Amino acid sequence: MFQRLNGPQTLGNGRGFWIGALAVFAVAVAFPAVADPYDVGNFAYFLIWIFMALGLCLMWGYGGMLSFGQTFFFGLGGYGYGVIEINIGAAHGGSLAALVLAVSVAALAAAILGYFMIYGRIGGVFFGIVTLSTTLALAAFVGQTAGPEWTVGTARLNGFNGMQGMSSLQLPWFGRDIDLEESALYYFLLVLLAATYVGLRLLVNSRFGNVLVAIREDPQRAELLGYDVRRYQLVTFVIGSLLAGLSGALYTAWGQFITPSSIGLPAAAMPIVWVAFAGRSDLTATFVGTFVLLFAFQTITIYSEQSALVLMGLLLVATVLFAPRGLMVGVGQSLARYSARRGG
Amino acid sequence: MSGDLFSYVYQFADVFAFLVLSAAGLAIIFGMMGIINMAHGEFIMCGVYVTSATYHMGLPLVLAQACGTAAAGLVGVVLEYLVIRPLYARPLDSLLVTLGVSLIATQGTLVILGSTFPGIGTPLGSFDVGVYTFSTYRMVLFAAAIGVLGFVYVLFMRTGFGVQARATMQNAAMARALGVPTSRIYALSFGIGAALAGLCGALYAPTMNLIPTMGAGFIVEAFVTVVVGGASVLLGTAPAAAVLAIIRSGLNAWYGQVIGQIGLLIAVILIVRVLPSGFSGWLARRSAS
Amino acid sequence: MAALLEIRALSRTFGGLFAVSDVDLDVNPGEIHCLIGPNGAGKSTLFKLVMGTYTPTHGSIRFDGEDITQMTPFRRVNLGMSIKMQAPSVFRALPVWQNVHIALQRRVPRRLLAAEEGRLLDLLGLTAEAARPAGELSHGQQQWLEIGMALALQPKLLLLDEPTAGLSPEETFRTGELVKRLAQAGMTVMVVEHDMDFVRQIATRVTVLHLGKIFAEGSVEAIVADPAVAEIYLGTPHANADS
Repeated sequence: MFQRLNGPQTLGNGRGFWIGALAVFAVAVAFPAVADPYDVGNFAYFLIWIFMALGLCLMWGYGGMLSFGQTFFFGLGGYGYGVIEINIGAAHGGSLAALVLAVSVAALAAAILGYFMIYGRIGGVFFGIVTLSTTLALAAFVGQTAGPEWTVGTARLNGFNGMQGMSSLQLPWFGRDIDLEESALYYFLLVLLAATYVGLRLLVNSRFGNVLVAIREDPQRAELLGYDVRRYQLVTFVIGSLLAGLSGALYTAWGQFITPSSIGLPAAAMPIVWVAFAGRSDLTATFVGTFVLLFAFQTITIYSEQSALVLMGLLLVATVLFAPRGLMVGVGQSLARYSARRGG
Repeated sequence: MSGDLFSYVYQFADVFAFLVLSAAGLAIIFGMMGIINMAHGEFIMCGVYVTSATYHMGLPLVLAQACGTAAAGLVGVVLEYLVIRPLYARPLDSLLVTLGVSLIATQGTLVILGSTFPGIGTPLGSFDVGVYTFSTYRMVLFAAAIGVLGFVYVLFMRTGFGVQARATMQNAAMARALGVPTSRIYALSFGIGAALAGLCGALYAPTMNLIPTMGAGFIVEAFVTVVVGGASVLLGTAPAAAVLAIIRSGLNAWYGQVIGQIGLLIAVILIVRVLPSGFSGWLARRSAS
Repeated sequence: MAALLEIRALSRTFGGLFAVSDVDLDVNPGEIHCLIGPNGAGKSTLFKLVMGTYTPTHGSIRFDGEDITQMTPFRRVNLGMSIKMQAPSVFRALPVWQNVHIALQRRVPRRLLAAEEGRLLDLLGLTAEAARPAGELSHGQQQWLEIGMALALQPKLLLLDEPTAGLSPEETFRTGELVKRLAQAGMTVMVVEHDMDFVRQIATRVTVLHLGKIFAEGSVEAIVADPAVAEIYLGTPHANADS
C-alpha cells in the first residue's frame, strides 16, 4: 500500500517526506485546540477550495487538459447542494445525501460535457475556451433567476442576491445528528481532504496514472500502445470536475449561502492561478501552493478585494513568464535534489 | 415586406452583427498566431470606455469611436511586445498570460474608475415597419459588421501586408527565411485584432451600461464563433456567425437572451461532436482543400 | 495458409491527389515483408492506413481474419498489431524505464513487471540509461527504445517505419539481426525501408510502391535484378545495382 503511494508521478516519495506530512497533519489536528474558533472556521474555508485545485492539477498537470470549467462544476455542486438540501431537509443524513447527490450531478454534467468535447476532439486552447464559455453561461443563467418563478421545489435560486436557507452538514451519529460547524466541520474537511490527497496519489502512481502522463506527453503514441486515450481522458475529466463539484457543495454547506459571483469571472480564473503558481505537475505542490495563495489572498482582501484580484492577475502573468512550471514545484524539486545529494 | 418577416430578418442581422464584430478580432489573432486572447473582452471594454470618455469630452460620436478603436489597437501592440512575444511557441501559456491580463484590466479598472461610468445614448432614433418599431442604429451595426468583413478581405487579399501575413500563417519559418519580418507581422496582427475588438466596443458603447466587467458579456459569443469558424475570418467567422445567428435569433425570440446564450453553447458543442471525424479532422480537411 | 494482413483495393486521397491508389497486398504469417519505393510513393500513408491513424477513402483491410477497416488504432493494437513510427516518438519527458513500463503494463501482470522491464531494457542495451528522460537519449537509442516499446506488446504483426534511419552501420546490422530473430520466433514483420543493404539482410519478400500503386512484388533477388524497379526506385538505371 505504502509503495503504491509513491512513484515517478509525485514529488516527495521518501520516508522523510511522509514523516513531514504526518507531522503537518498532526499540527492540523491539534490546531483547533490552540486557535480561536474564527481562525478554525477560516482554515476550514481554505480547505474547501483545495479539492478543486487538486482536481485541476489532475486534469491539467497529469492529463494535459486545461479546463477553465472548475467553477462551472463548483456552481453545479454548490447550487445542487442548496436545492437538494432545502428540499429534503438536513435530518437523518439528509444533508449528507444532498452532498453526495450534488457531487453526482456535477460528475454527470462532467461526463456529458466531457464526452462531447473529448470525443469531438476539442483540444488545446479550444478545450479552455469551451469550458470557460460553459462557466460564463451558467453564471449568466443563475444571475437572471431573481424572480420567484425560479424556484425548484421549495428552493428559490434568487439571482444575484444569492440562494440561502440551506442548512449545514449534519452527520448522523448513533441516533442523533452532529452539526458539522466550526471545529467539527474542520475535522470533517481535514479527513476528507487527506483521503482525497492519498487517493489521488494512489491514482497517479497507478497503471492509470502511467497511461495518463503518457497521453499528456504524446496521445498518438499512447493510443498506438493500445490505450483507449479518449476514455482515459474522459475518466480524468470526470474525476477532476467532480472534485470541483465537491468544493462547491462543501462551500454552500459551510457558508449556507451561494451567489452567481462564485461561478463567473474572475472566480473562474482563481483555480488556474493557484495551480499555475503552485506547479501543475505535482499534487503536493498544488496542495501547498493553493493553501499559501488562499491565505495571502484573504489577507489582502481585507484591504481591497479588487487589489487582491489585480495581484492574482500579476502573479499569473509573472508565473507564466518567469517560472512556467510553477513556483512550488521548483522549490520541491530543489528539496528533492538536496535530499538526494545528502542521502546518496 | 410585412412587419413580422422584417422582424425576423432584423433579429438575425442584429445577432449576426454582434457575432461578427465580437469575434473578428479574436479570430484574426487566433488565425495568425494560434493564440486565443483571453483578454479579448477587456479590449472591447477598453474600446467602450475610451469612446465614452472622448465623447463626453466633446468629440462627435464617430470620432470618439475612432479613438476607442485606436486606443485598443495601441494597447494591443504594447501588450504583444511585453507579454505575448516571449510565448509564441507556447499557445497554452499565452492563454494563461492573457487571462492574467484580463483579471488585471477588469479589477484595475474597478479600482481606478469605480463600478460605473457615464454611458452614451443610442443615436439615430427608430423606424417603423408594419406595427413594429426598430432601432436604426442596429442597422448601422449590421452595416459595420459587413464593413469589417470587407476590410479584412481587402487587408489580407489586396495589400502587401496581407501577402506577408498569409505567408507567415502558412509557414512562419519559411516566411522568415524569405525575408518576411514575422515579428512585425505578428505585432501588427495582434494590434489589428485588438483594434477590431476596440471597434466592437466602440460600436456597442451607445447600447450598453458601462461596467468594467462588461467584456465578459461578449466573449462567450466570440469564443463559440471562433470554435465553430476556426482560424479564418472570411471563410470561418462569417459563415459560422451566419449559422449561429439563425440558431441564436430563433432562441432569443422564443426564450430570451440567457436561454439563447445557453442554447447557442449547447448547439456549438453538438455541432462540434457531429462533424465527421471530429472537430480537428474537419478543420484539417478544410484547410487542406 | 491465410494471409495475416489482407489489403484490398485500398485508396486514400488528399485533396484529390491519390497518396495510396488501389493497393492489394497480402502479408503472410512469419514473413519479413519489406515495402520500398522512392520518396512520396505512399509507403508511410499505407502504414498509417494499416495502423488506423488515417482512414481509407476506399477499400478494405483485414487482419487475422477480422475486418479492421474502420477500427480505431487502439483496437487494432489490441488485436495484435504494433508500430514503430517514422520519427522516433518516445515519451520524451518520462524516464526510459517508464517508457518501457507503459508499453509493458497492459500485457504483463504486476508481479512480473519489474523482471520483464529489466529483461527488455537489457535487450535494448539501455539498462544504464534507465533513469534518464527518454528525450535525452541519442537518436539511435531512441529508435531502439521505440522498437522495444513496439515489441513489448508481443504483437502478431510488427510494423517498422524506417527503423534504421539515423543508425550507424553497426546498429543497423544489429537491428536487422533482431528483426530476423523475431521472425524466427514466429512474429510477422512489415518494414518500410530505404536502406537496400538492410532490406537484403532481412527481407523474405519485397513490395515496391510507386506513385501510390504496387509496382512490383517478389523476392529480394528478383526485385534487385528487375531493371524497371531500379529505374523508378533509384532514379537512374542500374546506378546502385551493386550497392
